[in-house]
Amino acid sequence: MKKLTKEDIMNVDPLKKDLGKSWIKVGMSTCGVAAGADEVYSTLIEESKKRNIEIDIRKCGCQGACSVEPLVEVNVEGLPKVLYGRVTKDVAITILERHVRNKKLLHDYIFEIN
Amino acid sequence: MQKKIIYLRDTDSAQQDRINDFYTLFSNELRDANLQEPVQLVKIADIGLYEKGITVKILPENIVYSGIKNTDVKRIVEETIKGNKIIKELLYEKKSKQMRAVLKNCGYIDPESLEDYIAAGGYKALIKVLLEMKPENVVEELKKSGLRGRGGAGYPTWMKWNFARGMNSPEKYVICNGDEGDPGAYMDRSVLEGDPHSVLEGMIIAGYTIGSSKGYFYIRAEYPLAVERVQKAIDQAVSAGLLGNNILGSNFNFELEIRLGAGAFVCGEETALIASIEGKRGTPHPRPPYPSVKGLWGKPTIINNVETLANIPKLIAGGGAKFASVGTEKSKGTKVFALTGKVKNSGLVEVPMGITLREIIFDIGGGILNNRAIKAVQTGGPSGGVIPQEFLDTPVDYENLSKLGSIMGSGGMIAIDETDCLVDLAKFYLKFCVDESCGKCAPCRLGGYQLLRILEKISEGNGELEDLNKLKKISYAMQKASLCGLGQSASNPVFSTIRYFEDEYKKHIVEKKCQAGKCKALIYFKIHPQKCKKCGLCMKNCPSSAILGSREAGYVIDPQKCIKCGVCFDVCKFKAVMKE
Ligand SMILES: Cc1cc2nc3c(=O)[nH]c(=O)nc-3n(C[C@H](O)[C@H](O)[C@H](O)COP(=O)(O)O)c2cc1C
Repeated sequence: MKKLTKEDIMNVDPLKKDLGKSWIKVGMSTCGVAAGADEVYSTLIEESKKRNIEIDIRKCGCQGACSVEPLVEVNVEGLPKVLYGRVTKDVAITILERHVRNKKLLHDYIFEIN
Repeated sequence: MQKKIIYLRDTDSAQQDRINDFYTLFSNELRDANLQEPVQLVKIADIGLYEKGITVKILPENIVYSGIKNTDVKRIVEETIKGNKIIKELLYEKKSKQMRAVLKNCGYIDPESLEDYIAAGGYKALIKVLLEMKPENVVEELKKSGLRGRGGAGYPTWMKWNFARGMNSPEKYVICNGDEGDPGAYMDRSVLEGDPHSVLEGMIIAGYTIGSSKGYFYIRAEYPLAVERVQKAIDQAVSAGLLGNNILGSNFNFELEIRLGAGAFVCGEETALIASIEGKRGTPHPRPPYPSVKGLWGKPTIINNVETLANIPKLIAGGGAKFASVGTEKSKGTKVFALTGKVKNSGLVEVPMGITLREIIFDIGGGILNNRAIKAVQTGGPSGGVIPQEFLDTPVDYENLSKLGSIMGSGGMIAIDETDCLVDLAKFYLKFCVDESCGKCAPCRLGGYQLLRILEKISEGNGELEDLNKLKKISYAMQKASLCGLGQSASNPVFSTIRYFEDEYKKHIVEKKCQAGKCKALIYFKIHPQKCKKCGLCMKNCPSSAILGSREAGYVIDPQKCIKCGVCFDVCKFKAVMKE
């Protein structure tokens, strides 16, 4: 990697962080991993490929709602940013099909934490 | 245009079906208004409000209505969804009680990406420090900010840094304390795992300020993921030129290395931690000399907690005065707590100093599980104490908590309800400290053991009233004479439970009763012959074959064989098993 300069840091585009307009983030700290986030993450990667659903899937840290891990945050154009909790493999697939592809939110898994 | 969305949630507990009725009501109204297509109606799992009745949130406008009745549904659809008008009587002005500063990036950026951290504003503070500020300016900002150590004692960070800065020595060290040994606490782990670069940046700034060129991360080996991510962050920073020689073109050099803690609570104490890094046995030394004068390898050293260091970049970027605008007179900024125990939403919360315990437990935590009554809140882990429910409206800061006989500590917060026994709780923490005592000084080694024996005696029903005085006397001696904070504070849980719950101790001693049903020697299980439906479930589940009888004759518990595990109590559907 090339050495960073002052300009590299000061002029960075804050929007770059949310690469693309559609993304899924999986909480992958110890609390998430202990609850099965690893499996959810790999399911999302594999199934999105299999189903030809194009979306940027990334890892992130702990959002704080440890009692409802694994947490998956989804941002799809035209819909609000949504945080799903207690996500299983099956729920992950439903998120891809229902939320990402058909733009319908899932019942009973959204957590609006304060 | 963004589609309209209605989130629907019953914020009262235990009314399972009501939400489906409202779902149908809303669906019907939407269908009648021909709005089924453009509006999505979604039942959600948590809306961030509790005990406020049926609540809806309308997006993208973010309108929240609570306490909704059947008759309101039609109005909401007509006036708000169709007419874009707000119905004032139903409106709930929701203010988030949390304030995310330290945790701002956690769960937001990819912790393994330096690019992400920089895009979120990272390393700007470092540039400001290296290119625009002298070390004394950094200390000045810290002083203005009022930041105090988040590792337990709450020592002003600027003073620590200023001492070390003033020392004339070619070698100095910066240490990040990531040992986090308090049972139930995991704030530091989440920061290290979720935003490692923020701690790195804090350490580099610390190095520049005190004139050090070498820092150590001391992380407990039980945190493998944290270790992995911090190592990755260090490697990235090295290859990007944020660590090493002439950082960002300045003439400042700094390098970082990880050292693993070997699983001893006492190694979180700063002098023991230093001994451990030096390769010696991790036992504490008397202070003074303080580490800022004579620390690692005998050189001036500052030790700071993970959360303290993670505060530094934002503090510098925004300025000390801005940091000080949050909090109480003597406690500034925010604090991360690991909220656990009998609370509905356990997890990590970050709140401004000065928020009340009640707000944390009820507004953020969602209240107590199964709607039982709250009895107390434990803060500060094994060095802290309990705060009974009559003080729940106390604003949380260093001074208030210590006035109440507890401490802020590193951020463990445990909600205690009526099914918890305070004698048992004191015993739990004391046992932890006895196990973790390094044995170097007698007050801690012997005193802790004696305290534990007395507590065991009380919980087994063999206590005498004189024991309460003994507990207080030994506690006092340990506080005064122990070598390090472990022994000095080990008796805090005992002291504070006696202070507020002496009655509970006396019940154990005089009446031989444990109201919460936790102290096994003081409870026994009985089957109520009238309530028993002779189903035999208790007998099937009893692990020690202590339940005798048959489906015809009914069942009894053999007290000799009963191990008081409570399984029969839990499985009985007719509440025929009684705990006394
Ligand atoms: C027994 C014992 C255990 C401690 N464990 C920790 C710990 O795990 N993490 C921590 O940051 N501080 C711990 N401390 C406090 C440290 O000694 C030290 O005060 C702290 O790291 C200073 O950092 P701060 O000024 O940023 O709070 C412990 C103290 C004692 C007496």
